[in-house]
Amino acid sequence: MPSVTFEHVRKRFGDSTVVEDFDLVVADGELLVLVGGSGSGKSTILRMVAGLEEVTSGTIRIDQRDVTALPPRERDVAMVFQDYGLYPHMTVRENLSLGLRLRKIPREEIDRRVTWAAGMLGLAPLLDRKPKQLSGGQRQRVAMGRAMVREPKVFLFDEPLSNLDAGLRAQMRIEIGGLQRRLKTTTIYVTHDQVEAMTLGDRIVVLADGRIQQIGRPIDLYRAPVNRFVAGFIGTPPMNFVEGGLREDNGEVFFTTQGINVMVSREKTAKANATEPLTLGIRPEDLRVESSRDPSVGAGPPSDVFTGRVVLVERLGGISHVHFDVEGGGDRMMASVSNDRLPNIGETITVRVPPERVHLFAADGRAISNSI
Amino acid sequence: MKLLRRVVLYAGLTIAAISFIYPFLWMASSTLKPPAEVGSLALIPQNITLDNYRTMWARAPFGRALLNSAFVATTITLAVLVFGSMTAYAMARLNFRGRPALNAATIAVLLVPGQLTLIPLYTLIVQLGWIDSYAALIVPYLFNATAILMLRQFFLQIPQSLIDSARMDGMSEPRILFTIFWPLSKPVLSIVAIFTFMGAWNEVLWPLLVVRDQQLMTLPQLLTVFALGGGAGTVGVSLASAMVLVVPVVMAYMFLQRNFIESMAGTGIKG
Repeated sequence: MPSVTFEHVRKRFGDSTVVEDFDLVVADGELLVLVGGSGSGKSTILRMVAGLEEVTSGTIRIDQRDVTALPPRERDVAMVFQDYGLYPHMTVRENLSLGLRLRKIPREEIDRRVTWAAGMLGLAPLLDRKPKQLSGGQRQRVAMGRAMVREPKVFLFDEPLSNLDAGLRAQMRIEIGGLQRRLKTTTIYVTHDQVEAMTLGDRIVVLADGRIQQIGRPIDLYRAPVNRFVAGFIGTPPMNFVEGGLREDNGEVFFTTQGINVMVSREKTAKANATEPLTLGIRPEDLRVESSRDPSVGAGPPSDVFTGRVVLVERLGGISHVHFDVEGGGDRMMASVSNDRLPNIGETITVRVPPERVHLFAADGRAISNSI
Repeated sequence: MKLLRRVVLYAGLTIAAISFIYPFLWMASSTLKPPAEVGSLALIPQNITLDNYRTMWARAPFGRALLNSAFVATTITLAVLVFGSMTAYAMARLNFRGRPALNAATIAVLLVPGQLTLIPLYTLIVQLGWIDSYAALIVPYLFNATAILMLRQFFLQIPQSLIDSARMDGMSEPRILFTIFWPLSKPVLSIVAIFTFMGAWNEVLWPLLVVRDQQLMTLPQLLTVFALGGGAGTVGVSLASAMVLVVPVVMAYMFLQRNFIESMAGTGIKG
């Protein structure tokens, strides 16, 4: 049964359209992530579900019920805000229980729910403190607790981890994921951080300029992005892009540009317009870097390699990022390399491009074929 | 060297402090002096007497005037806080047609000097038949543009997520204002309260225009009529009536002092 349904939802602020024809069905119990850059409309969509922002046209349903015109309190949704939105002059207990008291829920039931949420989130010793006396992570937990005690049909998270430092963010990410799996409450989670999107989402919606770019499971977005925007947005470090064109030679298809001439599989290019300029995309982790002194170079078919000159090596510990300029061309690219055979700056390297890992995009950004 | 500088500094500050406080203390002590001593600059009266207060109290209804003043000033202060914060909340945090115009109009009100509206306002009160009534003293002051703008400025700084949270929790807008915004706005509310109260308390000109009945007169009005009209007779009695006027304001200041200084420091508004 669908839990949240968007039908042609549109939002305008004055003359500018922020969300354009948004159509989506969120399944019951699903954790759906809306991801996009600033101005993509992701937070606006969330606020429209909450009832904090009016819908310009279209319909939003929660459990089949049309809630488009209802005020927030009648929608049975709870929201966690980026800066927590805790009442500074109230204790943690009051913050947790206020929404329930306003709904005239019996005192014993309020106590039961507050105790339950506090236990689940480790807030029991903090119930009589004020938000000022809590750390960032604890405040985040209180904000989540406040949503949990409401026992709503839908949880809404609006960039809940953006105000936390990196370590805490990773920890809270795991907690939110675990909590959602235990409670099985339908959740819409907004973030600009694609790592959060990839790790948390059952499905991800990638947004740009108020339009849906792609909807899918995290791994599908990673493997088969439908356009250049999604390809560049999903995955860290981001995908390399090189402009060029196609050339046919002896029945094989090659992608060529200055300094690069690599084979791509014929099925990938079936739908391509041979005369049109194209963009080749390849993820840093898919490039194979071999030092030019390596004796294995030259053993394979020369059709899937090119050479580059190393300009920077970023050592991350487990792996390193090797930035290099394509020799004979101007493109700067990056490869993720394991640490056992790191090249030096200035060294010439051979870069192997596995044909099956190549993504091709048409001039308008659309993926030509993304079946891997 | 360091010690010397410190001594000079403190000496200077002490002189400044004395020069501010001395006239007030002199006035306070002079009210307790018999007429023969009032001319002296001494702070401690040789013969303490309450005659000045007795005379004052006997010659005009100061007790009634004190109650009138308290009633008028308190009502105006409460109204300015309640109506002012409601208006400020709407102007700061709600979206509606005409909001920019309302902002501009509120600022424009500040540009019009009070003396300019005095005559039209007086005519209006006469036509309403409100001469010699509390309404004439109170109604023109229920809204205050300065208070609205000060509150609005403060309300703008309260994070949007608090309003969003409260709406999700099911609060109505008035409830958000009075249970979320008010507790967070204590400093600015107290500064508005004290300025409004002091302004209303000290107002002389307007009551002189609209109230002639001695039973309805406010304290400063009665005092002016009393002192200028020659009712006081001696300097000591005049000073005693001034004392009665000043004491409640000093008490109100002391009561709100902590928040007052906090918000002075916070807003950068000079007193």
